[in-house]
Amino acid sequence: MTSPTRPSLRTRLRRSPEAAGLLWVAPWLIGGAVFMFLPMLLSLWYSLTDYPLLKPPAYVGLANYRELGSDDRFWLVVRNTAAYAAVSIPLMTLLSLVLAAMLTPRMQRSAPGFWRTDRPERLALVAVFIPTLVPMVAAAMLWMWLFNARSGLINTALSWVGLRGPSWLEEPGWALPALVITGLWGIGQGVVIYVAALREVPTQLYEAAEIDGMGPVRRWAFVTLPMISPVILFNVITLTIGAVQVFAMPYILFRNERGQKAAGDFYNLYLYDAAFVYQRMGYASAMAWIQLLVVLGLTGLMLWMSRRLVHYRVG
Amino acid sequence: MNPPTTTWLRRTLLAAGAALFLLPLVWMLTTSLKPAEQAASGRVTLLPWPITNGVPDFGAGIGERLTEAARQGAANYDAVWSDPSITFPIYLRNTLIVAALSVVGMTLSSAIVAYGLSRIRWRGRGMVLASVLVTMMIPFPVLMAPLYIVFRELGWIGSLKPLWVPAWFGGAFNIFLLRQFYMGLPRELDEAARIDGLGHWGTFWRVIVPLSRPALAVVALFHFIYVWNDFLAPLIFLTHREDFTLALGLQLYQSKAGLTPWNLLMAASSLVFLPVLILFLLAQRAFVQGVAAEGVKG
Amino acid sequence: MAATAAQLTRRTAISALAAAGAGFIVFGPRGREHVPTGRLVLDYWEKWTQHEGRAMQAVVDEFNASQSRLFVRYLVTGTIHQKALIAIAGGNPPDIIGMYNYNVPAYADAAAVLPLGDLAPRHGLRLDHYAPGVRQVMQHRGRWWATVNTAGTLALYYNKRLFSEAGLNPEQPPRTIQELDAAHAALTRVTAGEVQRAGFLHMEPGWWSWIWGYHFGDTLYDEATDRSLAANPTNIRAYDWMQSYPRHLGVDAVERFRSGLGPYGQANWGFLTGELAMVVQGPWMASQVNQFAPDLDYGVAPFPVDESIYEGAAPPPTALIDTDVLMIPRGAKNPEASMEFIAYTQQPRIAERLATAHCKGSPMLDVSESFLAAHPNRGVRLHTELFSSPRAFICPPTGAWPELKDIFDTAMSDLWKLREPAAQRLAAVQSASQAVLDRAARTRQLRGESTGLNRT
Repeated sequence: MTSPTRPSLRTRLRRSPEAAGLLWVAPWLIGGAVFMFLPMLLSLWYSLTDYPLLKPPAYVGLANYRELGSDDRFWLVVRNTAAYAAVSIPLMTLLSLVLAAMLTPRMQRSAPGFWRTDRPERLALVAVFIPTLVPMVAAAMLWMWLFNARSGLINTALSWVGLRGPSWLEEPGWALPALVITGLWGIGQGVVIYVAALREVPTQLYEAAEIDGMGPVRRWAFVTLPMISPVILFNVITLTIGAVQVFAMPYILFRNERGQKAAGDFYNLYLYDAAFVYQRMGYASAMAWIQLLVVLGLTGLMLWMSRRLVHYRVG
Repeated sequence: MNPPTTTWLRRTLLAAGAALFLLPLVWMLTTSLKPAEQAASGRVTLLPWPITNGVPDFGAGIGERLTEAARQGAANYDAVWSDPSITFPIYLRNTLIVAALSVVGMTLSSAIVAYGLSRIRWRGRGMVLASVLVTMMIPFPVLMAPLYIVFRELGWIGSLKPLWVPAWFGGAFNIFLLRQFYMGLPRELDEAARIDGLGHWGTFWRVIVPLSRPALAVVALFHFIYVWNDFLAPLIFLTHREDFTLALGLQLYQSKAGLTPWNLLMAASSLVFLPVLILFLLAQRAFVQGVAAEGVKG
Repeated sequence: MAATAAQLTRRTAISALAAAGAGFIVFGPRGREHVPTGRLVLDYWEKWTQHEGRAMQAVVDEFNASQSRLFVRYLVTGTIHQKALIAIAGGNPPDIIGMYNYNVPAYADAAAVLPLGDLAPRHGLRLDHYAPGVRQVMQHRGRWWATVNTAGTLALYYNKRLFSEAGLNPEQPPRTIQELDAAHAALTRVTAGEVQRAGFLHMEPGWWSWIWGYHFGDTLYDEATDRSLAANPTNIRAYDWMQSYPRHLGVDAVERFRSGLGPYGQANWGFLTGELAMVVQGPWMASQVNQFAPDLDYGVAPFPVDESIYEGAAPPPTALIDTDVLMIPRGAKNPEASMEFIAYTQQPRIAERLATAHCKGSPMLDVSESFLAAHPNRGVRLHTELFSSPRAFICPPTGAWPELKDIFDTAMSDLWKLREPAAQRLAAVQSASQAVLDRAARTRQLRGESTGLNRT
């Protein structure tokens, strides 16, 4: 079998890129298997069972998935969550990009004097990022307070300029805007990633574009956007996952005596209720797998569409 | 040359925006300087008003108010720090342990896995990348019960291990983030390294890691923030009060009876927030500059 | 690239920070709770934080000092239901859990907690030590599952000063729904279409969206047949009555008024500011008044019932009982020891002390005069009597209740905004509730468990 001219199995293994690749991703494969895939498979099994947590699971086939189809609250949270994602993702992306562009001036780093450098911009970036450092629970309680119709800071500030603010958390129609505002407050991570990406765009490209007579808008469209497109893709995907899984903020904002019960209900709130309040872990697991498949589909779609739009600097 | 007018226009807009982003935090900090009754009074003031002989003085000047804020603030922060039932110093130590162990593990392992997913071409890496993405998409609540069983089998329930050991196997978000950055590094780097006789490990350690230091700093900082503020995992997996983390300690300030001490809650939140803020302020230069790996430009 | 001076200082600062962190890890305070050697350790998980938690901690400390065989470790956790469920499902339960009374049916049906019928009497506890109403909470399907450490009943709180100003007798609070309507009309102030003050609003704070039918003599659930009774004619009448309030004042005006009220737990909540003259609340209400509005002169009375319940004489008062419970999870390593601790907490002396600290009632049948005299709530006598009223009721005793309650809450918030007639919405609530109950029954059958319906 082995001919003397062929390298030994060991050498071939060492040289094969598959072996090297597997070795490098081994930590993930091992850890992922134990801490992710095993629990995920268990939850897939639970989704086929009736599992009240206090009792062992009992197999029920696809009953949980069938029940979802006729569950009014399921469709309500799907609609609410889709609306939140549809409104918040474009807004967050747009605002992040605009902020990032405003925060990335082409200026000398080490000129004398504060105002001639980009230090004011860096300070502003710090301010934009700081909200993401606040613990979620503290942030949500802070917002609940800010949104308070009478004594909240927002409506008090609006009243100073003669406006009567809405009852943010109570009036129908205002639940979604309130949640979107809290989402926009937390875009710092995305802005930082965009700023980093913008700084990576080679300045020669801009110079070349200027020589070609491109204005700032066309430079953005034809130089900047293509160059940072992998990062945009990354951010949009993580924003999508975050929007679909939105939980702590609406939980604290709307789960109180005044909150909008129906308009403030989102997918993972129902999932949490099903799992830990109604003790239907099987049903919650079915919801989780539906969510997983939908997000997977969306991501796949984005990756597929991005083949033409996203530009990787390879080779 | 002074910056042109458009720059000043842009900066004015930015200043207004930055103020809006910071406003809620200012509110958090000032509430932590008020007495309990004023924090829950529903009056919107930045600084507390002094009370003389039981009569609130709403018209007090800024100086008096500042004195009152300093006095009350000192009392609030002392109450939080030395509360015998919510032992903040112990939670701080636990959080530091978990944060240190998991940040090191997370950064190192994510970088290694990201290298395997970006700088080596091999059949099957698309599958592994897909598996990384998939795990980002499953909601954590349904994983808690099965994870609990895994950790119980490993004998880790009741220790800090469930909070940091998994970090040593990489995290999906960070792997994905680093992989996106590594994809942007020119291929020629690898070839040059190969000519210099470096293997994968040498290329990774001597070429990729130094070039991606700012990106690694970003991952480390993001993960530090995540660990510092994580609430659910400590809630489920810790079973001794002396193992609690800061984020878990914060919930002990919310009262079931509707008598939440808002001033103490905000003081505790500020205390939890402060170390992260300082670290971020110190690291922000490398952090922001960065992520734009200097040597790779052009 | 050469490092600038600023970068160097920054690097030094980061290193200093890291060193400080490392130093704190090495030298910082370590909080191993000291467990005396040779003692059996019991883990007790509770949901109480702040002053309520401190009061319970004091009881635990006292127990630990009172004997030398057992040592109780008290763990406070805000979202106890979640932690307890996962730990029990994972086969790793604590020795004692402190939950709410609405958890009892689900845990009992799943046999996730131990029955106490034999265990408790061995430690000197008997059901008849407790007030009759409280016994309903402790039992499910005829067996004893839980003990109670603090308890509350709901009553009408009213502002005596506002009563006088409106020409009402502050010593004669409304006894019937019709008298409540009259008092509400007299107390409400509307100027230029804006509500300035309201007599009574069902949705403030709206925590008990489902109790109104009980005050008309009805009930929501029949345990014997496992049927939802939400759409009973009397229940519909109760919610018609509830809708008459926003209908009369105008939904928009009422909602504008409500949104202007501060939230419960703050000094500007309506009842504390005098913008609401009457509310339905439990004994803990007094802690709000004492902290935020110590001058408020409030009265406490049984929440009114419909006239139709009066047949000549005044009927016994109607009130919801809401309690905390202590249970022993299945799989607890030493049930006798767990019970010994529970029995310690159930001594009248301890129960009363805890109840005073929590501003709640004692669940015991016999209550000391000193407790009643020193209690922070001036209505404590009434709240205590309500525990023994034959018309005291608890939430529907089914494991599906949390889900039914959410159906109710959503329906109530819609009904309050007059989005639907009560009859129509309650019919929908009943069928949705019945679907939930039937599904719960099916899952019990799936495991060959008794549905509990064919008791002999």
